[in-house]
Amino acid sequence: MITTIGEIVRGDAAVFPPYLYEAYRSTLRRAPRLPLVEVPLTASELTRPRLDVGRVTVEDADLTRNAGTGGEALGQRIIVTGRVMDENGLPAPGALLEVWQANAAGRYIHKRDDWPGPLDPNFLGIGRCLTNAEGEYRFLTVRPGAYPWGNHENAWRPAHIHFSVLAPSWSQRLVTQMYFPDDPLLSLDPILNAVPEGARARLVAAYAHDVTEPHWALGWRWDIVLAGPGATAFEAREQSAA
Amino acid sequence: MSALPVTPSQTVGPFFHDCLLRADARCDTIVGDSGDAQIRVEGRVLDGDGAAVPDAVIEVWHAAGFARVGTDEDGRFSLTTVRPERAPYDRSTMQAPHLSVAVFARGLMNHLFTRIYFEDEPSTATDPILRHVPEARRATLVAKAGPDGSLTRRYRFDIVLQGEGETVFFDFTSPVR
Repeated sequence: MITTIGEIVRGDAAVFPPYLYEAYRSTLRRAPRLPLVEVPLTASELTRPRLDVGRVTVEDADLTRNAGTGGEALGQRIIVTGRVMDENGLPAPGALLEVWQANAAGRYIHKRDDWPGPLDPNFLGIGRCLTNAEGEYRFLTVRPGAYPWGNHENAWRPAHIHFSVLAPSWSQRLVTQMYFPDDPLLSLDPILNAVPEGARARLVAAYAHDVTEPHWALGWRWDIVLAGPGATAFEAREQSAA
Repeated sequence: MSALPVTPSQTVGPFFHDCLLRADARCDTIVGDSGDAQIRVEGRVLDGDGAAVPDAVIEVWHAAGFARVGTDEDGRFSLTTVRPERAPYDRSTMQAPHLSVAVFARGLMNHLFTRIYFEDEPSTATDPILRHVPEARRATLVAKAGPDGSLTRRYRFDIVLQGEGETVFFDFTSPVR
């Protein structure tokens, strides 16, 4: 696939996709064309957004049952778990993870997803949780299906789960997608392929038999490593200055 | 300790609304502790054709709290907050009051970081971060004040993703020494 790739990247160009990636058509009119302005990190970026996390419940992390219908979602039940940490392996406790995904048939409940894949009345495809003291998260869900989109002729997105990560510092804000290995659509997907080749595998979960629960659900492990210094670096500096 | 491989970013895509903007995940008001000195920031998100971006998410953060709003069919967003305080830059310098902003949308492979400053705030002219921005582009980071007179001061701040009047977006380097 030949595509025009922009030069404007936020952060490490060996890790992050460029804003302009012509094969993903929505980037054409939305990617900035002027260079990003490099600025140092200040207290504004190294602090943790104050969140109202009291609203996050245990039930929010179970996408197979959180539709409020009393019924269970259809599909292959899976556990997705991992650690959120910084580049030094320090855990990110109390991070808010929000996830959204298509159902087992590849259909989103979103009003603009109108392809004729079946909806599942027992599946909203949304969940959230907070990481524990070790930075660990855990979702129970169903394996999402692939779905068609209008980017190019016969375009299908590989199965994926969207992840939003908030904390521990504003500069570490991350929204990304998790994929499954051995999916034949991975090599055809312009959104995944916009990521530099050496970093693509980081978005693919690993099957984890130790996470799999007998007669219940298959386990997948996927760790998230946040770029740059966390709030702890700022707090340590403030304390040393005090 | 050797650095671990950083997780790359991906677009939010078109189907985030039910998750990121569900009733108890969106927030268009930052109350803060004092609760007074409310300001309202309104604007539009526009693409390289000047067309509305109807599927963007704007997150705003300052010391008083966090807000997250979506854009409507006309690309419009608005939020209300207590006026931000000045935050330190280094041990001897303060920053001008500002809101830290992240922009997400279908077609944005990474979110975009920017800031909202205020034109009627004198310290905006000497802000140490704005000094890193080419002078001709600084105005894209400064919200225009609406007519005075009401309790809630209104500001206008458009976010132009591409092309003429393109908003300044940041790439953060290392912490201020």
